[in-house]
Amino acid sequence: MKTENQIETAHVLSYGKQQKLFFAGLLFLVVCFLILDIFLGSVSIKASDVIKAIFTNTDSNFETIILKFRLPKAITALTVGIALSLSGLQMQTVFRNPMAGPDVLGISSGASLGVAFVILGFSANISPDSLKGLGNWILVAASWAGAGAVMILIMFISSRVKDIMTILILGIMLSSGISAIVIIMQYFSNETMLKAYVIWTMGSLGNLTSSQLNVLLICVSVGVLLSLFSAKMLNALLLGENYAGSIGLNVRLARVVIFACTSIMAGSVTAFCGPIGFIGIAVPHIARILFKTSDHKILIPGTILTGGAVMLASDIISQLPGSDNVLPVNAVTSLIGIPVVIWVILRNRKYSGLF
Amino acid sequence: MKMNLTEILSLDSLKIGYVSGRHENVLLPPLNACANKGELIAVIGRNGIGKSTLLRTLTGLQPSLGGEIFYSGKNIRDYSRMDLAQKVGYISTEIVKVSNMSVYDLVALGRFPHTNWMGKIDTKNHEVIMDAIEKTTMSAFCNRFVSELSDGERQRAMIARILAQDTGIMVMDEPTAFLDIGSKYEILHLMHLLSHKNEKTIIFSTHDLHMAISQSDKIWLILDNRLMEGAPEDIMIEGAFDHLFDSSPVQFNSENGTFSFRSEEKGRIFIEGDGIRRHWTEKAINRAGFSLSEVKTIPYIIIPSGNNREWKLTTNISSVEFRSIYELVSFLSKEDTLSI
Repeated sequence: MKTENQIETAHVLSYGKQQKLFFAGLLFLVVCFLILDIFLGSVSIKASDVIKAIFTNTDSNFETIILKFRLPKAITALTVGIALSLSGLQMQTVFRNPMAGPDVLGISSGASLGVAFVILGFSANISPDSLKGLGNWILVAASWAGAGAVMILIMFISSRVKDIMTILILGIMLSSGISAIVIIMQYFSNETMLKAYVIWTMGSLGNLTSSQLNVLLICVSVGVLLSLFSAKMLNALLLGENYAGSIGLNVRLARVVIFACTSIMAGSVTAFCGPIGFIGIAVPHIARILFKTSDHKILIPGTILTGGAVMLASDIISQLPGSDNVLPVNAVTSLIGIPVVIWVILRNRKYSGLF
Repeated sequence: MKMNLTEILSLDSLKIGYVSGRHENVLLPPLNACANKGELIAVIGRNGIGKSTLLRTLTGLQPSLGGEIFYSGKNIRDYSRMDLAQKVGYISTEIVKVSNMSVYDLVALGRFPHTNWMGKIDTKNHEVIMDAIEKTTMSAFCNRFVSELSDGERQRAMIARILAQDTGIMVMDEPTAFLDIGSKYEILHLMHLLSHKNEKTIIFSTHDLHMAISQSDKIWLILDNRLMEGAPEDIMIEGAFDHLFDSSPVQFNSENGTFSFRSEEKGRIFIEGDGIRRHWTEKAINRAGFSLSEVKTIPYIIIPSGNNREWKLTTNISSVEFRSIYELVSFLSKEDTLSI
């Protein structure tokens, strides 16, 4: 009996060992990409100069580029990657839908609508420049509200409609409807506001002011903490609401916590960096493939690390190291994410309804 | 006579049903029933009468529309969600479809009401999980993914999960519905074992009347006007099962607990002989639409015995011999001349 237990424990341990290896590997990747992201860019700076700029107080141009531009951008990329991937993971579990993600079901468009209200509508007598300090928070709050409203609407639909494809199509319709509203708002807004909004929609990791970065960091930290707290609930929700209720989960409370968490993270990223696609839907699947588990105690840290690494890599690629051109980061994330999504769809045809 | 039984669940004028808008749709008249520790209870009733609704109401997943449910003497309303989850576990007909979930992880979810806020599996929880897996003979499948299991194996894993939840009562909605016949009896055997050896009270709904009668300690028979409870035999004696099939072509024979199709009786036949051959010949002539005659009249059949290896059918007109029951029945179902 004792030996049997030991064998079982040994088995569980060896399983855990492999996962620890992946964690270490991912952490290493994140650190590498973070450093690379600072060292590489459209202006080529020698490695020694980068180190000098970070650790000494010379007043060179290099220092401005490194400290005022590259470092904040790398931190933004890391934060955005974590936030979008985590909210994607949570949505996939709550909706029990492998195709759920902030950008797919219209959550990001909901957030855009909130942003559009602030930039185009609400600030009719405030100039876009006044979106500093408290303005940042207004922008974020509007984005949360938009994301949250769409989340609740989608939840309501999916409680009545069980078919994954129907929900996806409704999500696409919802996004299109919201885009139509935004277009009408654009049509009636003045030139300055329109320009501010259009630049926002292009998505960028580099345009954040330091106060905006602070707001983003606070919001995402709250989201990450909440999601660590929600690991047990998410595990229960894997079984569906009936079983989750029967093993003692307060399903309504769990939904509120998880939705709040998702809306805060996806909403604040969208508010500052624009709609960034395919990270939220693809990264959780990469984490599932790597860790071969459905346990959120492992998937949440796994998704955090994978999301950070993928987003940093996307940012490095978008800089096109060695050339003067810069690609929109949105395009890079799509090109990385779409193959993963296609793979999931093809695999799912075998076991329809699985995720 | 005083019985030494521990009542673990009782229903007092329980009203079940759905609320749609302001309208309450009560499915059945108030139900009264009880369950004791270690009993295997089958819930039986025609399709759509409210078996699933009753089971969902029992587990607290759906509010009752009146009346009371008591677990160990305490009203279900006074239990928190977490406390109730330590009293009663639930398996529905819903099939769990999650990729990358190992059997161990699934069973570990049963520990939900017993773990801390992180859901940490410590040594004690691990032991309970391994014990549940062992009791359901799933040890070899511990690290297999749930999505790769057969229907029967998955159901065993689900039972292991509910076992790990460590509840006195297990409620199962048609636990054998989608299983092949082998797995069906395996699951039933497991349920039987858990109720009698581990003193779990198992309340399960089923459409398999034969299975319910032969294995369960008690039956809750839901009829349109009331819930009847009692040992299968008690209910059989009252002839209550017959009501289940009032309007269908199926007939339940209270004497031997078997079914037959209502059909026009073609005639009576006497059978001479005994043993296993007699038993199956009786079944065969029943199937062909004949009943058994008690006294030796024509037509009659002589069962093979000793050197005689053939079935001999004697009628008014002729005497025919058959080498198998198949030939006999083929003849009987074609021949109209027998129906005298």
